[in-house]
Amino acid sequence: MADLTIDERRRRLARLLVGFGANVQPGQTVMVGGDIDDRELVRAVADECYLAGARFVELNYFDLHLKRARIEFGGDDSIGYATTWSYEHARAAAAEKWAIISLSGGTDPSILAGLDPDRLGRDNSPVNTEWLKAVSEQLVNWTVGPSPSPVWASVVHPDMEPDAALELLWSEVERVCRLDEQDPVASWEQRMGDMVATAGRINDLHFDALYFQGPGTDLEVGLLPSSRFISGGSETADGIPHRPNVPSEEAFTTPDPTRVNGEVRATRPLDVGGTVVTGLRVRFEDGRAVAIDADQGAEVLRARTAIDDGGVRLGEVALVDGESRIGQLGTVFYETLLDENAACHIALGQGFDYCVSDDDVERINASQIHIDFMIGDDDVDVTGVTDSGDRVPVLRGGAWQI
Amino acid sequence: MDDLLTERLAELAVGFGANVQADQIVMVTAELGRESLARAVAAAAYRAGARYVDVTYTDAFVRRAKIENAGDDAIGYAPVWHVERMKQMGEQRVAVIALEAALDPAATEGLDPVRLGDDQSPVRQAYLRLVMERLINWCIIACPTPEWAARVHPGLPTDQAFERLSQEIERVCRLDEDDPVAAWQTRFDRLTEISERLGGHRFEAIHFSGDGTDLTVGLLPSAEWACATFTTADGISHHPNLPTEEVFTTPDPRRTEGVVRSTKPLNIEGTLVTGLTVRFEGGRAVAIGADGGAEVLRGRASRDDGASRLGELALVDGEGRIGALDRVFYSTLIDENAASHIALGSGLGYLVKDERDKQQVNSSSIHIDFMIGSPEIDVDGVNADGTRVPVLRGGEWQI
Repeated sequence: MADLTIDERRRRLARLLVGFGANVQPGQTVMVGGDIDDRELVRAVADECYLAGARFVELNYFDLHLKRARIEFGGDDSIGYATTWSYEHARAAAAEKWAIISLSGGTDPSILAGLDPDRLGRDNSPVNTEWLKAVSEQLVNWTVGPSPSPVWASVVHPDMEPDAALELLWSEVERVCRLDEQDPVASWEQRMGDMVATAGRINDLHFDALYFQGPGTDLEVGLLPSSRFISGGSETADGIPHRPNVPSEEAFTTPDPTRVNGEVRATRPLDVGGTVVTGLRVRFEDGRAVAIDADQGAEVLRARTAIDDGGVRLGEVALVDGESRIGQLGTVFYETLLDENAACHIALGQGFDYCVSDDDVERINASQIHIDFMIGDDDVDVTGVTDSGDRVPVLRGGAWQI
Repeated sequence: MDDLLTERLAELAVGFGANVQADQIVMVTAELGRESLARAVAAAAYRAGARYVDVTYTDAFVRRAKIENAGDDAIGYAPVWHVERMKQMGEQRVAVIALEAALDPAATEGLDPVRLGDDQSPVRQAYLRLVMERLINWCIIACPTPEWAARVHPGLPTDQAFERLSQEIERVCRLDEDDPVAAWQTRFDRLTEISERLGGHRFEAIHFSGDGTDLTVGLLPSAEWACATFTTADGISHHPNLPTEEVFTTPDPRRTEGVVRSTKPLNIEGTLVTGLTVRFEGGRAVAIGADGGAEVLRGRASRDDGASRLGELALVDGEGRIGALDRVFYSTLIDENAASHIALGSGLGYLVKDERDKQQVNSSSIHIDFMIGSPEIDVDGVNADGTRVPVLRGGEWQI
């Protein structure tokens, strides 16, 4: 890719997100979200949306400095506040069946440094529930894709010169998004086809629970009777296929939020709204995270998960094998989209109702948060237990056993 | 622009400008590239007790992508929730702060002027209603940017141009004073006094003459003159334009006659209209000519019935700090305060007392100011009996 100009590289990534990722339809309104540092890619994406026939591109820029101003100077009732029209916004997206393209990348950790972790943790917009609803009811065709920026590059490759760090990050993003292939879409369709077949085989085994065992980890995650692993693409209720994550290497489902027990150690750092949490350890009892510890950033995660009843229970469990290009790179991106596709992971908070049948839909976890963290590695074994008690190896040394 | 000037501009906008109240929601609109001031405004608003600061960043290059690539049904379209948002902003009596600068010309260069002219969002109309019904306390404040500086000072290297523009903004916003708010208060006292005198004369019309201009603008009998100090329906006083130097009224949209030549270039969302001449008959702009950019203004002026009639008439004297700089800023906020001006489009209904007159006030989805005054242009008040009273000569008040 090095022979392409930066504009051409952005355009290739934008085209993948608009066409293959969100699959924008003519006449649709498209919300394009990104950090204020992502503006060049936002523009390329907007351009591709209009070329694809979009009727309106709605920009949704995030600026962590504004969050900082709120945490630092706002009154107590400013924290976690949402305007009435921000609810209208989310409802309009659901009612009008928008496409949503979100750009994701590591942000400058110094922006939120030194702020009160409790206020930071509580500053979560309640409108997120509305957005998660639009997603879980499959009313929107959406995708999340990576946006390499100088700031993110400096976080991932702190010891390199800025230009070289950005160049390396771009080439890593292109590698994991399969943009280094002649035909990235064909390459994705093949990989996602394999993953869908694997998910199908897991579903055929009707596991009652999954066990994760490795250094510092001994965790049981109970599944609901109808929990179904999904991989690759998704489809809206109206039948528009889309790929919620580019890249995506996972098979995921929504677990039983009352049957999670044991200890788990995160295998990668995670970013919680601008705060990096490292060395995370969580102990679960009867589904609840009863102890959250970390080398760094634990308070922010504790405050965030205390936001509602479901904040300390699991909404997702996902399996990732060693063929993942992200896992193979070995780079820690400090960014959930990429890091979660490097390794098996679980998420605290909102579950996915489309992963279960109507019988179980009331039992999935409900919360206004959804925070993924990575628990898989080559030395973490994953074993499935069937409802008759048989133990079936699922992942050993990062390779599928089924 | 250094951090100190950013900080002082933000404080001026939040305190003296919009006069943000404790527990208010504050909407901030800023084009990309104006983040520094947007962030400082957010911090200042929270310090002033704002409940929440909602910053909307806009991007002229995404707008460009639409004009260039989108289908016809995308032009002028906005999702309905944008209109609903305006309605709720009015109901909840929010404060609004907009950061103003000239756009990077690359954002609009070469675009189809007709599509550009047609791309008027219905949200604009909803916003103007908030202003006319005095539901919001608001302020548009100048925000120096490198792109703007390059436009104003094309001969200077980027950083010097930016430095120069920052100094000019500091000067015209009276931030070079020890106590800017006191300096503004003195200026507003003077402008208030002039508007009261103008109102006291009960002129039938205002006449502009000189340098290619011979224009009579008829006034509505009960229309008042005012300067840019507003009070919301709930009694929050605020200063909607910083800087401002004008006294203004809303004229009779049926009684504009003659020819007017614009004394400064007019910037319409990035398109520069130069050498503008407009001929009015029976209140309507019947001929719009220009050396450049006439189509864009013609497109705007044909949007609706009121778009070719006047909604505002404003007088600016030579004591203003902007005219003294003798500089084109390519920004209406500043340039309109360098000189007397008129505006095509929506009028200012709140300035009219009599109900019958109120119905005459011009109504339109546009409001485009252009400068027609200079020291060479004489301004007279015309009495009912046809006698004339000098109002401005060589830029000095005569009343």
